[in-house]
Amino acid sequence: MNHPRILFCLLLLITVALESRTRADDTVVELRFENRRFIPQTITIPANQPFKIRIVNASKEAIEFESFKLNREKVVGPGETVIVLLPALRPGTYDFYDDFHQDVPEGTITAK
Amino acid sequence: MPVKRIKLPVAVLLVVGGLIIVGLSVRIRHVNPAISGDIAAPPKIEAILKRACYDCHSNETHWPWYSYAAPLSWWMERDVELGRQELNFSEWSSYYPATQIRKLQWIDRTLHEENMPPWIYRMLHSQAALNQSDLMLLQQWIESRLAARQSQKGSNATKENSQ
Repeated sequence: MNHPRILFCLLLLITVALESRTRADDTVVELRFENRRFIPQTITIPANQPFKIRIVNASKEAIEFESFKLNREKVVGPGETVIVLLPALRPGTYDFYDDFHQDVPEGTITAK
Repeated sequence: MPVKRIKLPVAVLLVVGGLIIVGLSVRIRHVNPAISGDIAAPPKIEAILKRACYDCHSNETHWPWYSYAAPLSWWMERDVELGRQELNFSEWSSYYPATQIRKLQWIDRTLHEENMPPWIYRMLHSQAALNQSDLMLLQQWIESRLAARQSQKGSNATKENSQ
């Protein structure tokens, strides 16, 4: 059998496994949308660590979780739950909003 | 001629013919809602936006003949619906000021990343492609709009503080 190929496959497997392990350790923050607002409206997360937001849309309308500063847009259908992956953030505040409904109050993610 | 050789082209023709018949029979009614408040832009900017963006991001969509045949019609209807939901120049005046700022910022970012118009749309509408001059004009216009908004916010805050 071809040794370089075996080595390459092993390397690939190790990389994928390591990557999965890192993402499994990430902080997960739950963000709920119901009654036309995000709950909680303010999220605090440790800076310089990747994390995930689990968005639960408990309303009967589709929403679009969006943040220009975080460069994220994600449509969440009614009753759906989605996970948004975010990289390590520098200390600061990052706003987010529902792009489908202007009247929904903005939320803030504070990294510190 | 072997029977298999005859059957295959005939089968393909039947399938294609059947799809065309089904496609034409399942008609989608494409709707262009009324324009409630178009974005006010200089003529050059408006011309670029209409050429490159308005089919998906306004209520002035041009629906060509092939947009009435399924399954293409379903795909195009969905794209236009999503496009309008994301950004609709025909309803610009209904956006809150903060929303208008966000939309301009996203448009600017999208232009820098050269993500729009989508390549598949440009294939069918070559005139929609944005050249460097178009990009520069659009970006300059966006920057001036954002700067105007920021100074407006600043002067509003000053007025509130002095009262």
